[in-house]
Amino acid sequence: MTALAPGRLTGTPVRRHDGDTFVTGRAGYTADVPRPGAAHAALVRSPHAHARIGAIDTAAARAMPGVLAVVTGDDLVAHCTEIPHGLDAGHLGGHHAAVRPLATGTVRYAGEPVAAVVATTPADAAAAAARVEISWERLPVVLDAGSALLPGSPLLYPEWGDNVIIEREVGPDDFGAASAGAAHLLDGELRTHRGTAAPMETRSYLADWDPGTERLTVHATTQNPHVLRTLLATTLRMPEEQVRVIAPKLGGSFGLKMYGNREDFIVPLLARLLGRPVRWVEERAATMLAGTREQVLRYRVAFDADGRLRALDVHAISDHGAAAPTHGWGMAHVGALSTGLGYVLPSCHVRYTVVATNKAPWVGTKPFGKDGATLLLERVMDRIAGVLGLDPATVRRRNFVPPDAFPWLHTSGLELDSGDYATALDLTLRRLDLPAVRAEQEAARGAGRLLGVGLAFELMPESADIPGAMVAAYDTSTVRMSPTGRVTVLTGVTSPGTGNDTSIAQLVADELGVPMASITVVQGDTDLCPYGFGNISSRSIITGGNAAVLAARDVAATLRATARAMLQLQPEDELVLAGGLIAPATDPERAVPVEAVAGAVHTLSYRLALDVEPRLESTRTYRPGNVRQQPDELGRMQTYTTYPYAVHASVLEVDPETGGVSLLRHVVTHDCGTVVNPLFVDGQVTGGVAMGIGAALGEELVFDADGTPLTTAFKTYLLPRAIDLPPVELEHLCTPAPGTPLGAKGVGESGFSGAQAAVVNAVNDALAPRGVALESTPVSPPRILAALLEQP
Amino acid sequence: MIPERFGYVAPTDLAGCVAALAEGGRVLAGGTWVLPEMGRGESAPAQLVDLRRAGLGGVTATGGGLRIGAMCTYAELLDSDAVAAHAPLLRTMADQITGGWALRNQATVGGSAVAARPQSDVPAALVASAAVARIAGPAGERELPVAELFAGAMRSALGPGEVLAGFDVPSAAGTGHGYVKLKRGWSSWPIATAAALVRLDAAGACTAATLVLGAVSAVPVPVDLSALTGQVLDTDAVRAAADTAAAAVVQPWGDVLAPPSYRAAVAGPVARRALSAALSSALSDAREESR
Amino acid sequence: MTGDGGRVELRLTVDGQERVAAVDPRSLLLDALREDFGATAPKAGCRTGDCGACTVRVEGAIAKSCLRLAVAEDGSDVRTIASMADGDRLTPLQQAFWDLNAFQCGFCLSGMLLAGEDLLDRIPSPTDAQIREAISGNLCRCTGYDSIVAAIRSCARPAAPS
Repeated sequence: MTALAPGRLTGTPVRRHDGDTFVTGRAGYTADVPRPGAAHAALVRSPHAHARIGAIDTAAARAMPGVLAVVTGDDLVAHCTEIPHGLDAGHLGGHHAAVRPLATGTVRYAGEPVAAVVATTPADAAAAAARVEISWERLPVVLDAGSALLPGSPLLYPEWGDNVIIEREVGPDDFGAASAGAAHLLDGELRTHRGTAAPMETRSYLADWDPGTERLTVHATTQNPHVLRTLLATTLRMPEEQVRVIAPKLGGSFGLKMYGNREDFIVPLLARLLGRPVRWVEERAATMLAGTREQVLRYRVAFDADGRLRALDVHAISDHGAAAPTHGWGMAHVGALSTGLGYVLPSCHVRYTVVATNKAPWVGTKPFGKDGATLLLERVMDRIAGVLGLDPATVRRRNFVPPDAFPWLHTSGLELDSGDYATALDLTLRRLDLPAVRAEQEAARGAGRLLGVGLAFELMPESADIPGAMVAAYDTSTVRMSPTGRVTVLTGVTSPGTGNDTSIAQLVADELGVPMASITVVQGDTDLCPYGFGNISSRSIITGGNAAVLAARDVAATLRATARAMLQLQPEDELVLAGGLIAPATDPERAVPVEAVAGAVHTLSYRLALDVEPRLESTRTYRPGNVRQQPDELGRMQTYTTYPYAVHASVLEVDPETGGVSLLRHVVTHDCGTVVNPLFVDGQVTGGVAMGIGAALGEELVFDADGTPLTTAFKTYLLPRAIDLPPVELEHLCTPAPGTPLGAKGVGESGFSGAQAAVVNAVNDALAPRGVALESTPVSPPRILAALLEQP
Repeated sequence: MIPERFGYVAPTDLAGCVAALAEGGRVLAGGTWVLPEMGRGESAPAQLVDLRRAGLGGVTATGGGLRIGAMCTYAELLDSDAVAAHAPLLRTMADQITGGWALRNQATVGGSAVAARPQSDVPAALVASAAVARIAGPAGERELPVAELFAGAMRSALGPGEVLAGFDVPSAAGTGHGYVKLKRGWSSWPIATAAALVRLDAAGACTAATLVLGAVSAVPVPVDLSALTGQVLDTDAVRAAADTAAAAVVQPWGDVLAPPSYRAAVAGPVARRALSAALSSALSDAREESR
Repeated sequence: MTGDGGRVELRLTVDGQERVAAVDPRSLLLDALREDFGATAPKAGCRTGDCGACTVRVEGAIAKSCLRLAVAEDGSDVRTIASMADGDRLTPLQQAFWDLNAFQCGFCLSGMLLAGEDLLDRIPSPTDAQIREAISGNLCRCTGYDSIVAAIRSCARPAAPS
């Protein structure tokens, strides 16, 4: 690892390079892209959770003012293929489901798009969409995974013979042998609820078909413009270069705007069919269809008299909703890979069953299934502490993988690279002042008040490369310097709104010794940027950042060679690039401005007799070295490249009369290795904590008995607001990622899992004097009060 | 963006509103509920009769209390000295309205009352305040005790073509008040509210006590506290009154945020807290006076 | 038949400029600003008044523009965050939001900046609790709010000595 030199930008709180455009409202999002003359689409969605589509009468809709076209699923069949799967369960021992942009034949969730209307205004499109008449033949619905697995359950895909999308196992199935002789055995069941990503910006597209050049340009709310381009070219049967995907500023995503959503295809298809630009902006209720979580985790755990884990056996049943071409089911896989990670766990076996139900499908959502694994282990840790009468912190400390044990091969095949979990725990407890909090808790309990403290350790495998997925753990950046010394970075990674473009600019500025102001970062345009995978799995800095560093070093080498020629130095003479100048290390007085050197590369190559190619441009790919996809003797692979972690502590009070929860404190110690920009890292962790708290306490997608979603707006899907949250108290630890140029680890999914688990544990700690335990989420007031009232 | 076409008028007086409404359509007050509903296509009136120019805003002090216009916003309630003096309960209620100042600047007391949503703050607070609704319609003007305005969940007692002009609220000066709202975080609508008024005599005995529960039933639930009259209200008396309140919730409301069983269970504690607050406020008023 | 029939003339002063546009009478103020007046700073986040991303000032008072009918605002003065700054000179609050990273995706900024400014107008030295309450009509999914609270706090006028 290269040491970070003092005085550099990397590691400092550099503010967003384009922050002024945001605070003045000028930053352009997809729905802001001007396109006079664009028509507007509205989607007709199924009101039923399971039904056969009968006759569709579009006459009344077509007769409405402003209507340009009404298109049904059958109309689109001739114009596109089914949507390719991001991670096809059918190729991995499960079932394949053919999904088309608009449903044909059968709908399998309420809200499934079945037809589209295009009109000259959004209002006219919506008015006409309401007049598309469909005769439905309703089919029996199945709305939870448990029922869907019962014999005789209605089947979503009768040709499968059951409702199982995929079932697989991770880790050796040897609980019996591994638990033999263990002092204690516990079993249990943990239930999590359905949530959704809910970014502030809904999905949106502007698709522009140019009949003259037969070129399709799509402005899209997408995390993965290049992947979307590949998918669009495949689906629409177009040469890939005839498709241009542009991702403007993204108003948050959290996984929701990954490739493969049906609207990714619907809007471009409409534009092509009509031969004119078509715009669509998703309504909030549709954004809230996307599901995540909702698992039943049945487990057995064996541990020794001192609390050390011996063996864990888990059956994770995931309520996926209808099958989908997005890779959402992969969350069950990653949850299984992550189960027990970071603890010394001699035997860990997870069977996961991904079940189809009549709900809108899972969409990959931060933190991609790892949250269930965290919650499971952290409940187990607290239960062990309860059985043994130990402090919950002690049980965790005894089970952590110790700092001298890396690289550590987990039973799932993931190999941890570095970390110091016990120190993170210590820092959290110190900041919390645990003895004082416990004393306060004792006093409160004496007065009949229910104060609780909860701990949680989260470990997030990041920067994934799962074989067969359309995205990878590597990415590519180009660094280009103009004759005037201006720098353009073009990168395959994108920003979902996190600001990684500023971090990348910081890294490049340091390598080239130029100010931030001379750097422009271009992201999210398939005509301009190198092929890349966009934004996924907290890997933008690791991949795009490291690639940009490598490319900038190439450019710097050419600058150095040219400066040596200009200054008539020897090859061994060192040159320093700093402050926009290039200077001999031993003679700073002879510094030349970087733009003079850049100009010389472009104009004086022969005169200076340069012995390097006169090009101030380099494209490099950073591919982490620690991924291993050749299966070992147990079939295991190492598919993640970095392992950030955190230790959370939550302090809260439960109102025994109402079940209401008041959050008092939330402390986190976080380690994502080398921090490129502390402003952004703190922002990521704090935002993740808020989201995890929301998931623990209140955010829940609810359906009626027919499968109709009831939580279609922020009045019922309860996001935490500022006044609901305590300030997050952050501590940092840094164990750099070994063997990487930067030492940085992913941070984009941090905060959520530990916050959710810490809150659940704290609620249980608060309820302990009343003999009540909650092993299901959300720990909402109605559930807490019901538990308190049901107590014996 | 509203899908269906509609006409729009904004008459400049109440009679104009009534005349316009005779042509059919729906009244637009603050718009915070009607416009999103129309945006979702759940309501498609032929025309909107906007009350904004009809002079129905604001609060004025009358001889014995307040006149609150139907278009009076929460912000106007909060800014009004007259409200602070004569209807501090309404002020406390308005201070707990979620949605931020942008919403308080816009949402109206009248609109909320006519929407008659069980899960809202206004109905129970108005009933506790003994407000009288002033209603104008094709047959002229009439007055209605506000409890009778809430005919059912999402159903007001306004007849066809009638417009709510506002409320007359008797002064509650010298009366202690308490308002307690239970909700699931600030994103949530009310799950249970209790609005309480307590008046004490010089000896500290209760001369009048009012308690109305909101959000726990389709319509506000008034609780008969006549048993408290003449008593010095100690903890036990307040507790007994809260039990009476809980027992008054015979058909608890349920929605996606909280089932009926939950509302039934929290009604008592919420009632007790509101009564306790009202009692404390009455006692502190008494101390102020005796000083 | 086209959908453009029945447009009505709407007169607004948008960010200090008096303008007229032909708008669909079904438009919300938010729609008219974005589509007909080219003022795209306010965003459509929920259209139910819950997120606050569409916040503007109407006649000086902060308002959620998704809850207002465009035609009802005929003649109004409407300001978005695009005219908060004095030319290139950001307001102290805008500067603080930028310096303290009080946004990530930025979609919520119209609401957060205007709610913050409105609070500081009413209460120049707010407590953290008052700041949190003032922005609780607005949703942010990225930051966890702490940086927003810090940015508003940094613009508070120091409390007068008592």
